[in-house]
Amino acid sequence: MEVWHSPVGNPKVCPSEVQVKQKRDVQQGTLALMVLRTLDVLGAQHGYGIARRIEQISGDVLAVNQGTLYPVLLRLEQEGAIASAWGPSENNRRARFYRLTRAGRKLLETEKRDWEQSAAIVARFFEVKAEDLA
Amino acid sequence: MMALRRLFSRVRKIATLHRDDARLREELDEHLALQTEDNLRTGMTPAEAHRQAALKLGAVATIRENYHAEEGLPFFELLLHDALYATRRLAKAPVFTTVVVLTLALGIGANAAIFSVVHAVLLRPLAYNQPDRLVFVGEDRPAAKITGDGFSWSSFLDLRQHHAVFSSVTGLAGHALTLTGRGEPADTSTIAVTPGFFSVFATTPLIGRALNDADGAQGAAPVVVLSEVLWRNRFGADPAVIGTPIELDQRAFTIVGVMPASLRTPFFDQAEQVWIPLLQDPLFSHWIARPPQTHWMPVIARLQPGVSLRRTQAELDAFSVSTERASSEEQGWIAKAQPLQQILVGDLRPPLLLLLCAVALVLAIACANIANLLLTQATSRSKEIAVRIALGASHGRIARQLLTESALLGLVGGAAGLILAWRSVPALVLLLPANLPRLRSIHVDAAVLTFTLVLSLAASLAFGLAPVFFAAQSDPQSTLRSGGGAGETRGSRRARNLLAAGEVALAAILLIGAGLLLRSFARLLSVGPGFATEQVVKAQISLPRFQYARPEQWAAFAADLLTRVQAQPGMRDAAFAAPLPILDDAVTLPFSIAGNPPPAQGNADTANYVAASPDYFRVLGISLVRGRVFTADDASSTPPVAVISQALAERYFPHQDPIGRHMMFGFPPRGDVSREIVGVVADVHDVSLARAPGPLMYVPFAQAPFWGGDVVVRSGLSTAAVAATIRTETRAIDKNLPVTQVEAFPAALSASLAWPRFRTLLLGGFGGVALVLAALGIYGVVSFSVSSRAREIGVRMTMGASPAHVQRLVLGESTRLALLGLAVGIPAALALARLVAALLFGIAPWDPLTFAAVALLLVTVTLAAAYLPAHQAARTDPMKALRSE
Repeated sequence: MEVWHSPVGNPKVCPSEVQVKQKRDVQQGTLALMVLRTLDVLGAQHGYGIARRIEQISGDVLAVNQGTLYPVLLRLEQEGAIASAWGPSENNRRARFYRLTRAGRKLLETEKRDWEQSAAIVARFFEVKAEDLA
Repeated sequence: MMALRRLFSRVRKIATLHRDDARLREELDEHLALQTEDNLRTGMTPAEAHRQAALKLGAVATIRENYHAEEGLPFFELLLHDALYATRRLAKAPVFTTVVVLTLALGIGANAAIFSVVHAVLLRPLAYNQPDRLVFVGEDRPAAKITGDGFSWSSFLDLRQHHAVFSSVTGLAGHALTLTGRGEPADTSTIAVTPGFFSVFATTPLIGRALNDADGAQGAAPVVVLSEVLWRNRFGADPAVIGTPIELDQRAFTIVGVMPASLRTPFFDQAEQVWIPLLQDPLFSHWIARPPQTHWMPVIARLQPGVSLRRTQAELDAFSVSTERASSEEQGWIAKAQPLQQILVGDLRPPLLLLLCAVALVLAIACANIANLLLTQATSRSKEIAVRIALGASHGRIARQLLTESALLGLVGGAAGLILAWRSVPALVLLLPANLPRLRSIHVDAAVLTFTLVLSLAASLAFGLAPVFFAAQSDPQSTLRSGGGAGETRGSRRARNLLAAGEVALAAILLIGAGLLLRSFARLLSVGPGFATEQVVKAQISLPRFQYARPEQWAAFAADLLTRVQAQPGMRDAAFAAPLPILDDAVTLPFSIAGNPPPAQGNADTANYVAASPDYFRVLGISLVRGRVFTADDASSTPPVAVISQALAERYFPHQDPIGRHMMFGFPPRGDVSREIVGVVADVHDVSLARAPGPLMYVPFAQAPFWGGDVVVRSGLSTAAVAATIRTETRAIDKNLPVTQVEAFPAALSASLAWPRFRTLLLGGFGGVALVLAALGIYGVVSFSVSSRAREIGVRMTMGASPAHVQRLVLGESTRLALLGLAVGIPAALALARLVAALLFGIAPWDPLTFAAVALLLVTVTLAAAYLPAHQAARTDPMKALRSE
């Protein structure tokens, strides 16, 4: 996992803004789906809990830069897929707990179906050999 | 749906300036704490546990930035942020901001003001129903080089029968008739129309009815339609007037309708107006019997829906060469259709567009000036920009910031300009000739507002791009390393020099244009009209033709009035004539000379015609060249005589003595009155000052009277006293006679120069503004160059350069700028001057004096502008300059 963007430094060595944005968008979509699924399985969770769960399951997607999760959470909340409220954490301090809303559950189902469909299509393409097309 | 929800959430966040920053911080802190605890459980030291947790979370600043980007609407937030930053910056430099805003206000305000005139006069559609369907139909006679003439009555009747492409057609003619029976007798604009008039303009009456076909028939009862304004002012907006009679030239007309105030007759644009059937008009009803070759009636038509102008012209071409016409006396006349709007304002297009171009040049110079100022600023800001780039700001971000700043300047300048335009447009309208079509509709409206906004933004872009370009080029490393001295990059200095030279070039073009018009106008003013106007007062009297039906009555009235007026003290020098030179429309008549071979059909010689009382030549100071002028003995009972002008004598009687020869002409145009030429008088400018005197023929008013004319009186008394006497004496003869257009002759003549005066004044003003702006531009460039080269100058002086040498150096630099500007500006002006050739009088568009004077003026002004900084440079203390860095 590379560091894409540093706020300080010579901008000429940075990848262009377009590249950064595309990469982030792809990941944000995936991340959002993972967040929804995590909340679906575990119920209400705070940010750290979600990050830990995703790290456990996906390995390197959230090994570093776990902070990128928070903009995704905000976006999902703005879209109404999840809701949040303050609650006590394991160490008895205040943490923000996120839970799936009804709209979020519906969204997850749609996304899951879409995902499976596209995955199946892509998989079929990989299976096709040159002689099959002849 | 979700996207919409998100947008609402974002807008709400911006609107309430609500930020969840505290929440995010708390969440991140909690995240770190939980991770640290987990790390501790795996056996890390507390310090290592915290470090690893922080690494895993990532850069908090970036997270917050991304979080806030999700939270609000970044584009508008950045804009707001940039605008606030720009406002702070501009507020910190009040002198700079004021100079820029004032310069812009001047440039944009002048543009908005001129555009409001152009828009109202040229661009705005005519105020009629579907105005693009209205065409003016005129007739050309290519063989005789006649274009745009009206129709003869018989030709009009032909056209009306063959008008498949038109939904309706009307002929119209206008003059003033005397409205009596309601209050004071008043000259009232009367439009004699054919019944199609109101359907051509697609107007329905306010009350009553419009004219119908029966009203236009021979022998119908006389009816009249009133304009709304006349109805309100003279009839108290009484709906009961319908069916009641009014008197026009003392003949009863029944009121049948009132037309809304929105209907204004083209060519005869008066608020108080009446429309009558042409066949009921005391004058024009006789004109329909004029010979076919006399084309006097303008025709306006409404095109059928979907019919193009091209198809209309094709039909008209077919009509013009159709067999019936080919055999008639209308042979050779070609009907031509043109959009009505083009006919009404076509002549105004070149001068107005010229003014618009000139004022655009002023704005271009203003923009160059501001760009220069901004470049100066950008140079001193280069360190700030370098720091920001080093801190991670992208070039796009810097460019955006700079452009926001210039857009802010542009908008503030534009708003100030709009106020300026709004205040100055009424003054501009006063300057404009009073007969300008649609003069009343000139004001700052939505279109002008839009124009100003677009212009302001375009101007901001124009002057804002220069600093952006150089900011993009600057290398932050070298700028920071150089210690932040106000050093100017070579590219930036060249750009500033080019801008200053460009200003000189533009100013040269404008000043040459202004100079050419100014010299033409001076020439025009120096033209003697050929007659003396000092102390002359004129007044017009029109006789009602139903009551004064016979020419003997007209002659008797004029003689009676003159006797009465001349009997008054100080009014000895009085005369009666029609038409007056320049002020009245000329009457052009064909003539033939006894003893010369008759001209080919349709190619008669023509000359302008004046009927005058014997004292006319003395009152207007027109000197006698040969023979005699008229006397009281030239009466209707004596043989007809004529006096001709020198131009006529020279052209048609070369090397001959015209005295005693006979000419045949008369009004109405008939070739059958033979008149003996008894005298030759000096030429006068009879049409306009700009037009060379043409051939003129005078007849005694007593022998060939008009139904009215002008009284001219030369008197030491005041204009008001003379006018009062003329009024009293006229009323003493007939209390129902209105006296109109009473004016001192010089004032009336001056009004005839309103157009040239207007454009000369305006262009001269723009030239002056351009000169001042260019001088400021040169001053700015040179003084900045001097201050940024203080060290170099110090070195030169230490090495032995004298103050005079330094001064020459600086002045030489500015002279080079001026010469470079002139090298571009003068050829450009030479190329463009041909466009104004039509507006010039008495000088060539390449008038060397104007070009030389402008070049000299610009070089002088440049040197003057550079003098102060040069003087300052020469007084540089070398030790101080060297030590300062």
